[in-house]
Amino acid sequence: MTQIPPVHRLIALQSCRFILRERTASVLGAMFVVLVMISAWLGWSATDTTNRIYLDAAVFLKAAGQTVPTNPVLDISPLSLMRNMAVYVSLIGVLAAIVIGNRLVASERKAGVLPLYGARPIERSAFAMGKLLALGLSVGVLAAIAGVVGFVTFLLLPNVPVSPQQWLQFGGFFVLSAVYLLLFGALAMGCAAMAQSESVGLLIPVTLWLAVTFILPQITANLNPTAAINPVAALADAPHTAYFQWVGWALAPISVADCYKFGAARFLDMAQAPASGFYMVWLGVVAVAAMAFARHALTNIDMTNGGFDA
Amino acid sequence: MPNSPLRIIATKDIRDALRDHFILIVTVFLSLAALSALVTGAIALRTDVATFEAAKASLLALGKSADQIKSPEFYPLRLLRGAVEQIEIIGAAIGIMIGFRAAVSERGRQTLLLVLTRPVARWQFLAGKAVAGLIMIAVGLGLVLVALAVVLHLVSGIGLGWDDITRLALVWGMAVTYVSCFFLLSFFLALHQSQAAHALLLGFAVWLTLVLIAPQIGDTLDPDNQVAGGVFKQLHIAKPDQMEIMKGFASYETLRSGIEAASITKHFERFSFAVLGIKDTYTGMPLGPILTEKSTDLIWIFLTALGLGSLLLAIPLNPTKLAKE
Repeated sequence: MTQIPPVHRLIALQSCRFILRERTASVLGAMFVVLVMISAWLGWSATDTTNRIYLDAAVFLKAAGQTVPTNPVLDISPLSLMRNMAVYVSLIGVLAAIVIGNRLVASERKAGVLPLYGARPIERSAFAMGKLLALGLSVGVLAAIAGVVGFVTFLLLPNVPVSPQQWLQFGGFFVLSAVYLLLFGALAMGCAAMAQSESVGLLIPVTLWLAVTFILPQITANLNPTAAINPVAALADAPHTAYFQWVGWALAPISVADCYKFGAARFLDMAQAPASGFYMVWLGVVAVAAMAFARHALTNIDMTNGGFDA
Repeated sequence: MPNSPLRIIATKDIRDALRDHFILIVTVFLSLAALSALVTGAIALRTDVATFEAAKASLLALGKSADQIKSPEFYPLRLLRGAVEQIEIIGAAIGIMIGFRAAVSERGRQTLLLVLTRPVARWQFLAGKAVAGLIMIAVGLGLVLVALAVVLHLVSGIGLGWDDITRLALVWGMAVTYVSCFFLLSFFLALHQSQAAHALLLGFAVWLTLVLIAPQIGDTLDPDNQVAGGVFKQLHIAKPDQMEIMKGFASYETLRSGIEAASITKHFERFSFAVLGIKDTYTGMPLGPILTEKSTDLIWIFLTALGLGSLLLAIPLNPTKLAKE
């Protein structure tokens, strides 16, 4: 007699299969992986060009009888070649996670299959657990693919020695990225379960993502939006004034984009931001809170109808 | 034609957007983003001024000349840098939402077929919706820029002259055209995709590529952005010598600039930064030469909007497909 897997596992597997077939989520996931590859090339190309500029400048300075400073490229860790990856995780990676979270719930609400779940002996908690498991698996696979692409790229790039400690840091960066993606995926899932309309369910997490990525860094650190997505400029210190100190402190609990940025910078050897360890732990706490919100929304979803108004 | 179908459809769409406060919410959201950028920029500038004054006072107290420290330059319109960037990112996203909403309001309520059973030509239906969207974008951005001008006047303590207001009006016109491109794209996608949600996601994928990724690639490929503070600054190389060295990297710079130029956002940014004097080379320059130099950016944005508008009217609508999802 074959043993039937637990209900939450069945729901998770079925949902994962659905996401693989879902065109938009797959396209965004594929875009993310392609951008991860591009980011590796960008990092290498830009650093290599800077190195060549230094060599030309050194010749120029010597000819002018001036002192030649040390090559600033030598201070750059090989891991920071992947600095653009952190930006792409926070842009297209997050958008892909929002779409996955939304589709995992919205498509079932729209198709009207929730009453079928309601007619079966399925615990609401098992339904919620299955959906969250599917989300975790999907974003985990996305982060793992990005990690493998990054790993292979390092092996292919010429003259880029990576120490065992740096490999560990590189792995840590992808774990942190998976947590960040999970946060927004869970938020989108909860919104898709609670919203009256399908569009609102999608627009709320997108709006929150826009606010934490582009508005909060402006308020807390006077960081313009384009600087906020430049991996080097984004790490600039906030102006040393009482206003930025207080606002930064007051808005820190919701500045999750900053938590991810400083955590990623530490893993990729770009900067040792003060309290980056705390930022990473806090990101985990917010991700858990987002999953609790999604679980609450999913366990309270109306199984007798559950569809959208329009 | 006071009661033409085009006018009736446009009026009805605007009324709908006002009734459910959609346009109010997105305008307030963009205003908050733009104003917070302006205010934080002003606070940061005041810090620079205070630091300068303190350094100057110290030097004078020591009996030294204050000429050796550079005083911070103040041009009120330059404080709008963050606000322009918020418009190029969040404004474009709002354009997508308005376009999506214009199409989906008929799809969701299954009223499209009903509208088309009336004596309304399909182009009138599309043009009416498009006109409503353009009016809402123009008014929304107008309110945002008026709010920015008022706050700028208050925080800078310097009255804005006619020249400043003309420059703001030019940026408003260009911002309306720029955001309209995203509105038209999203409206077109939502009318032609079999599933409305897919259209929204596709719109955001295009937004992500054009607004964030292409300019970001161009920006991060800039050799001067690879080292904190800039590679030339670290090497203490003067501007004319930098240009001499960069001559050897012409093809690299062409590729970098080409990636940036592929994005309509970069054209809007280049035009606005030049007109407002945000970019150093244009600060204090009269409008005439700036407009001549930036005519390519201007033409690029107008042609994109025109192309998308033509596409919207040229591709036939399939109401039967849109009535069911």
